[in-house]
Amino acid sequence: MNVISIFMAIAGTTFRALLGRRRSLLMGILALVPVLIALLYRLAGEGRVDDRAVLDLLIVRTVLPLTALVFGTTALGAELDDGTGVALLTKPIPRWQIILAKIAVAGAVSAIFAAASAIVTEVLLGAADPAGTAAAYTLGVIVGALAYATGFVALSVVTSRALIAGLAYTLLWEGWLAGILPGTRILSLREATLGIIDAVLPRTIARDGLDLTGSIVLVGMVLIGGFLIAATRLARYQVRGGD
Amino acid sequence: MTGANEPGSHGVGAPIPATGAPSPAPGVELDHVSRWYGNVVAVNDISFALGPGVTGLLGPNGAGKTTILHMAAGLLASSSGTVRVGGAPAWRNPSIYRRLGLVPEREAVPAALTGRQYIEFNARLHRLPDPRAAAVRALAMVDLAGAADRAIGTYSKGMQQRVKIAGALVHDPPILLLDEPFNGMDPRQRLHMIDLLRLMAAEGRVILFSSHILEEVERLADSILVIFAGRLAASGDFREIRRLMIDRPRTVSIRSADDRRLASALLPDPSVSGVDLQPSGLIIRVSDGDRFARLLPQAARAAGVSLHEVLPTDDSLERVFAYLVSR
Repeated sequence: MNVISIFMAIAGTTFRALLGRRRSLLMGILALVPVLIALLYRLAGEGRVDDRAVLDLLIVRTVLPLTALVFGTTALGAELDDGTGVALLTKPIPRWQIILAKIAVAGAVSAIFAAASAIVTEVLLGAADPAGTAAAYTLGVIVGALAYATGFVALSVVTSRALIAGLAYTLLWEGWLAGILPGTRILSLREATLGIIDAVLPRTIARDGLDLTGSIVLVGMVLIGGFLIAATRLARYQVRGGD
Repeated sequence: MTGANEPGSHGVGAPIPATGAPSPAPGVELDHVSRWYGNVVAVNDISFALGPGVTGLLGPNGAGKTTILHMAAGLLASSSGTVRVGGAPAWRNPSIYRRLGLVPEREAVPAALTGRQYIEFNARLHRLPDPRAAAVRALAMVDLAGAADRAIGTYSKGMQQRVKIAGALVHDPPILLLDEPFNGMDPRQRLHMIDLLRLMAAEGRVILFSSHILEEVERLADSILVIFAGRLAASGDFREIRRLMIDRPRTVSIRSADDRRLASALLPDPSVSGVDLQPSGLIIRVSDGDRFARLLPQAARAAGVSLHEVLPTDDSLERVFAYLVSR
């Protein structure tokens, strides 16, 4: 009971802080980009489209990692940076409870933005099975958002430059390196997200990359490892020397 | 301030399993504590133990006050030595926060929340049985009841300082640490805060606050710790330390119509311990400031020398600290 009330208190203020006016506006615009592209495509009336290619590129490769990056690194990182986090740290609660609430909220908020964007985009594209495709991508995006958010929350406890480090991971590792060194895909949350989506909704042409087992293993590793790293690092967190 | 959580009756006085007669666990205890960052020593071998009452942590900016408070609040590990709060180790021990409130110096309040939301949030994290009532009480204590439903971002600096104090007080802790609590307050708010902290100390709390302003410490603290360059320069009763500061030898630089003649007129007096005749003027080492202040105009008139300039050369607080450290 206590754990739940602590969780709710932290989650509530984190939710409010994450959805501050400027940030939610920017992330809303980002989530609207796939929707607008789908709308333009539909208005141009160009017949059948490969809706999965569109969702892979715009949702899984773009909206999902970027929203998770922004929400994941700010959920706790912003507080640690500007000093408001001291109020959280000077409370008689185990630090892992703070991490749990931060990850849950960052993951949930990212998932809401990315999943809403995926669903509306898919419906607008007018493909063959909008309900099935939207369901598969929603599930994939929820799992992906949680994993990304866990990684980025952990990163924000480890370094105050989490946003840059996270951006480097998504752009360089997942985007660029995965293209030239396919072996790096086994450590790519983007691949894991796609692996889960493909397991729910198989493709006609099989994708090269993580299968369901590999995806589950990677997501599990990130969830558990990220949580443990974040919790132990926060337990030993030292405020920057003032004075 | 009333309530069942009266700390003076049980909190601080909890006995520690010590040898001999049971003695109360000091609220805050540092034992040979040092803290360094790379090659820089921020805090150098400091020991003290604080009981109930207000203690002022006095020192110039950069002396190590914040580092000491952060270590006492468990937000920073000591490089060597032990820091204990209410008898328990401060580092990696969140349970100390049941008995400890910290008011950090940095502006550390979420601007988007209202004062009430912020204090209730703090109360919930402390698992208080009635967070709402605790918030009302804490806000009233710092005189913010009227502004409770405004966003903190609209508060003045003094109000933000007070809402931070309310956040630290919401669980009625027997130990309170405050880092430069008067920064940004106007004189009226300052007086109110001094009264509040006095009242809380009278109820048996252990209060440690830092300041670089001698006057603040003088008005509020029962005892003081003087920190200079990371070392504990002096500690104890305020009046005693003030006497040390006043009785110290000081130097006065004088420019006059005839420095040589003035020097020979002053030198025989016991309040003058040395004279240095320089092209720019006289440098006089004074051992008894009050006596010298009476002597100088009389001696100058008697010798027929007119004074152009009289300057105490070392009255800055830094020099006072430096003197205390060198003793």
